[in-house]
Order: sequence, then structure tokens, then C-alpha cells
Amino acid sequence: MALLAQLRRGTLEYCVLALLDGGERYGLDLVRRLGQVEGMMTSEGTVYPLLSRLRRDGLVATTWRESPSGPPRRYYHLTPGGRQALDAFAREWASFRDAVDYFLDAGGDHDERHRR
Amino acid sequence: MNATVADQLVAEYLARLDAALSDLPAARREELLEQVSEHIATARAELGDQAGEAEIRTMLDRLGDPAAIAAEAGQRPAESLESSQPRPGWREVAALILLPVGGIVIPVVGWFVGVALLWSSEHWSVRSKLLGTLVVPGGLALPLSLGMFAGSAEYCSTPPTLVGGASPDSVCTGGPSGWLEVLGPVAFVLLLLAPIATVIYLGLQLRHRPRTAPAMP
Repeated sequence: MALLAQLRRGTLEYCVLALLDGGERYGLDLVRRLGQVEGMMTSEGTVYPLLSRLRRDGLVATTWRESPSGPPRRYYHLTPGGRQALDAFAREWASFRDAVDYFLDAGGDHDERHRR
Repeated sequence: MNATVADQLVAEYLARLDAALSDLPAARREELLEQVSEHIATARAELGDQAGEAEIRTMLDRLGDPAAIAAEAGQRPAESLESSQPRPGWREVAALILLPVGGIVIPVVGWFVGVALLWSSEHWSVRSKLLGTLVVPGGLALPLSLGMFAGSAEYCSTPPTLVGGASPDSVCTGGPSGWLEVLGPVAFVLLLLAPIATVIYLGLQLRHRPRTAPAMP
């Protein structure tokens, strides 16, 4: 679990940015979508500090919108800076993931005897 | 019937969250409370009026322990721990100086700069910012300019007593009406004290804010 928390720490914010890449979303919608994938967050509430940090860092911005049911909602959307950060991460992540995969997979190739 | 139990559960949850967030600057605490309140309100609107106590409990359970939310809000990868827990700096000091006297140094503009600094700071809540803006617009410049205005008219009532009726009629034509003579000085003193009291209040808020850094896990 500690390992998962470590991995999540640096990546969850980019998952949030990626979710907003398709268009603006309100808090509950965003949180529910993150929750659909096992292991992405500890609890729904912990996403909100992350969202306000992204807002303070200028990666997302918010607008208020009336909703068909219930109270007005705060919609989050990517800023140009947020999109840049997301693009940069996506590139880095792809090569980093490949590098990790390389060692995880290659370990078996080099050392087949130990596997038996 | 369900509504009251549900309302109570929600109120308790938000109170626990508010308490857990007490180490954060006021503006950030407010933002988080608003976000979570909106989450709850939207979820309840989805659940509908028929939502039972169990459904509300499940929804709050999914939101998670307020302490976990507070921990997430307090912690930050080392590089911006400082910016997330800023100490009061030049911005706050300048705001506290410019709000009362800025309008005297540079009429009107000085005060507006103070207001801009006040609202851009993360150290005060919206309530305090409204207080700082509305009590008193213009700061000390307002009562002082009013005082000069009224003062020029007030002299007319004093010469008769001093001079002993030398030329009472000509002096008193422009004098203030009776109620203004009584209320004027009271209002003047109040307008003078209010901005000072406000600045003291805002200053104390900076001092009372806990400065303890959140424990890193």
C-alpha cells in the first residue's frame, strides 16, 4: 500500500489533468471518474485539495455554472499551462514506463535459470 | 424526517472537516469546505429526497476521513511546502498600512491598492476581507476629509462665544444644523476609530493563525 501511495503521489494530478483534457467537469463527476479505476485515490475527498492546488498552480481554472438539479456547480477546466504540463508529462511518462517495463521484462530474459 | 438526520450527519461531517483544516490559511480552508459542501449537495441532489440515512452515510464514507483530506491539503512535495504555508509577508503588512492611511498619502488610489493587496492575500477569509473593505471605505481619509469639510462649517458656531457677539449673524448663516452639531463629532470619532479597529482585528488574525507545519508521513 505504501508503494501504491508513492506511485500515486506524483501521477494522480496528471490523471486529473487528463480527465479534463476532454472538456470541463464538475467536482463530483471528476471524483467519480477517478474512483472508477481501482487504486487511483484513497478517498473521494482527497481529490479536492489536489484540485485547489492545481488551481493555485494555474494548471486548472474554475467557472461557476447553474445546474439542472441541485446547487450551482464549480466546473474545472484546463488552462493552456495545464495542457502544456499534461503534454510534457505524457511524453515523459511513456518513456519512463517503457524503461521500467524494459527492466521488469528483461530481468527474465537474462536470468532464466533463476526463474525455474 | 430523513432530511433532519441527513442534515445532521452532513453538518457533523463538515464540522469535523473544518476542525481538521484549522492549520490551513483561511482562504484555503474556505475553498476546501466549499468544494466538499458542493460535492455533498450535488450527491444529495442525485440521491433525491428519498435518500435514507444509510445512503448519506455511504456517501460520506466515500468522501473519507476529514483528517485524510486535511493531510492531503497540508502536505505537498517539498518544493512548494513553503508556498502552501506562507507566512504573512510584505503583502499583508502593506495592506494593513495602506488600508487606513493609503488614501491620505495618495488620495483614493492608495486605499484601492490596499484593498487589492487585502484580497490577493491567502491569510484572510472572505469575511475578513469584506470587513477590511467596507469598514471604512477609504480608510482614515474618509473621516479626515469629512472632518475638514464639517470643521470649516463648525467654526461659525464658536466665534460668538469667543468674540462675545461681535458679528454673530454673518458668521452663523453657514453653520451646521442642530443634530449635525451633536452627531457630527460622534460620527467623526466612530469613523476614525473603525478603520483602526479593523486593522487591529486583521492584524490579530495573522498572529493567531497556527504556524505549525503539517506532519509529513
